[in-house]
Amino acid sequence: MSRLSLFLNVLWAESYALFTEIFRRKHILIMMSLYPYMLLVFILIIGYSVGSRQVFIQRLGVAPEIFFLASGYLLMVVLGSSDDLLWRPLYDDWLGITPYLIISPVPRLYRFLAVPLPRLVIALITGLTSLLPLMIWYYGFYGLIESLAVIVMTLVATIVFVPFIMAVIGVIYTYGKEQWRVLNILRPLLLILLGVYYPRFLMPLGAYIASALVPPSHVVEAVQRLLIGRLDLTYSLMLFGAAIGLFIAYIPAGVYSISLWERNKLKHGVKTE
Amino acid sequence: MKQEVIVAENLVKKYVTKKRKGLLRGEKQVVEALRGVSFKIYRGEIVGLLGPNGAGKTTTVKIISTLLIPDSGDAWVMGHHVVREAKRVREKIGIMLTVEKGFYNKLTGRENLEYFAALYGLSGEERRRRVEYLLKLVGLEELGSSDRLFEEYSLGMKARLGFARALLRDPPVLLLDEPTLGLDPPSSRRIRELVKKLAHEEGKTILYTTHNMFEAEIVCDRILLINKGRIVAEGTPDELKNMIPRLKTINIVVKGDQRVGELIKSLGIEKYEAKPIDGLLSIRINIQKPEEILDPLIKNFVGNGYEIVSLKIEEPTLEDVFIYFAGKTSR
Repeated sequence: MSRLSLFLNVLWAESYALFTEIFRRKHILIMMSLYPYMLLVFILIIGYSVGSRQVFIQRLGVAPEIFFLASGYLLMVVLGSSDDLLWRPLYDDWLGITPYLIISPVPRLYRFLAVPLPRLVIALITGLTSLLPLMIWYYGFYGLIESLAVIVMTLVATIVFVPFIMAVIGVIYTYGKEQWRVLNILRPLLLILLGVYYPRFLMPLGAYIASALVPPSHVVEAVQRLLIGRLDLTYSLMLFGAAIGLFIAYIPAGVYSISLWERNKLKHGVKTE
Repeated sequence: MKQEVIVAENLVKKYVTKKRKGLLRGEKQVVEALRGVSFKIYRGEIVGLLGPNGAGKTTTVKIISTLLIPDSGDAWVMGHHVVREAKRVREKIGIMLTVEKGFYNKLTGRENLEYFAALYGLSGEERRRRVEYLLKLVGLEELGSSDRLFEEYSLGMKARLGFARALLRDPPVLLLDEPTLGLDPPSSRRIRELVKKLAHEEGKTILYTTHNMFEAEIVCDRILLINKGRIVAEGTPDELKNMIPRLKTINIVVKGDQRVGELIKSLGIEKYEAKPIDGLLSIRINIQKPEEILDPLIKNFVGNGYEIVSLKIEEPTLEDVFIYFAGKTSR
């Protein structure tokens, strides 16, 4: 069986499982569409309590509703997918399907790539139902173009995150003894490093460097610069180049890390009960 | 010539566990799960790995199915080494490890099978046909349960689905770890029938672990008795029964005088049990060759005025065999 057909098979399987479950439990779909708005309202309430809308627009050149809706959407998609990947091995163990995945002919990289891809379709739908109407309402045709650009960039940010997350999974599951509590420490750390709510260009140098090692943070910066109207072509190419370069660089690290974890798992025995 | 399909040579596996001693301290404990397990299984055979909980059955299955690396020793499936050629081994096996778990709860049985079929490389029409065939084979279609959510399945239905998954790739080797544990009789029977059919009609090689002696006896062509990480005996059920010294029991119920001691001892039998039950006397004599004393025994009783109410010769069970060997290994 060719590598492509193996990948297509695992992609089909993951898509099938995800869409079947989501369309069976429609409240998930509804909640996913509402989530960016819920985050927006929450942030605006906090924001208005400490400053005015006009000050925000003066300083950043963008309406806070747009900035935070886009940030909320970006965060939901990128962290949602990374969460999905990070928790997946534990979820597989809990369901008892790990042994059946290990004996399948699918390489681990294919499966980890296939897990977030179907979610991108959901992300596209939620982007079109949340971000797009508000931006058109605010900026008309330019809002349409800008919202589509933000959606596409968000999808790119999700994909470039995968090998990095794989590397993290391998390390924390091998040395962290598969403890889910470790993930709860990791999540807020990733949230900060992504720079979604605290833009990277405002970070201290140490945090900026750490953030620069996280591939989607470059895309996040590109989105933020686009929203505030400070993104030129050269800089955007540089940001996307960095994100894609890191994506490629992390692939061997991710594959090695996962195989290290798998070897460790086989040494101690895959849980079967 | 018989074709060797599964070969295990001197498998050793130790688990290191930590025993908590207070809040911060812990003590390492080494559990020897396998202490040199060796066996061979030939094509088309159903071999039962029979032993109590903690004997090493699941550890053996995990090693053969490439899910656990042994500390030492080797194993091969169809000539492929389970550690060095794990990928090749995985192409040849179908596994069923637990009955209750192993599927997505929010998907139906059919959807779950379609998911795993895709992961195992089946696509398009071939995948649909195979899933349909297996749902019928294991009886889920007949029960009308193929399109019910897995979380709504009974244990028996879950086992049938697990068995169907093991067959998705139509593998030549099946590794079934306690496939009927906790199942209702119809589901157990269905699985046993399928196991026999697959081995004897389709030539599949099956390693079947259980601690159910009755099941091992009726399903398996050959049995490996495992206890405390060692194979303590192996053979067909009949061969195993012939290995133990106390083989058969004469169970005779008579009516008459309760003092039968002298009468039995006159036949050279020293050990026996005699219990009065409702005015009758039930006598149990354990002996290797009952046919040699049966005739004089009956003559003795009848000649002394006893009325024989019933007479039965009980064959030893696998349980007797197992207890005998388990006792030997624990000494």
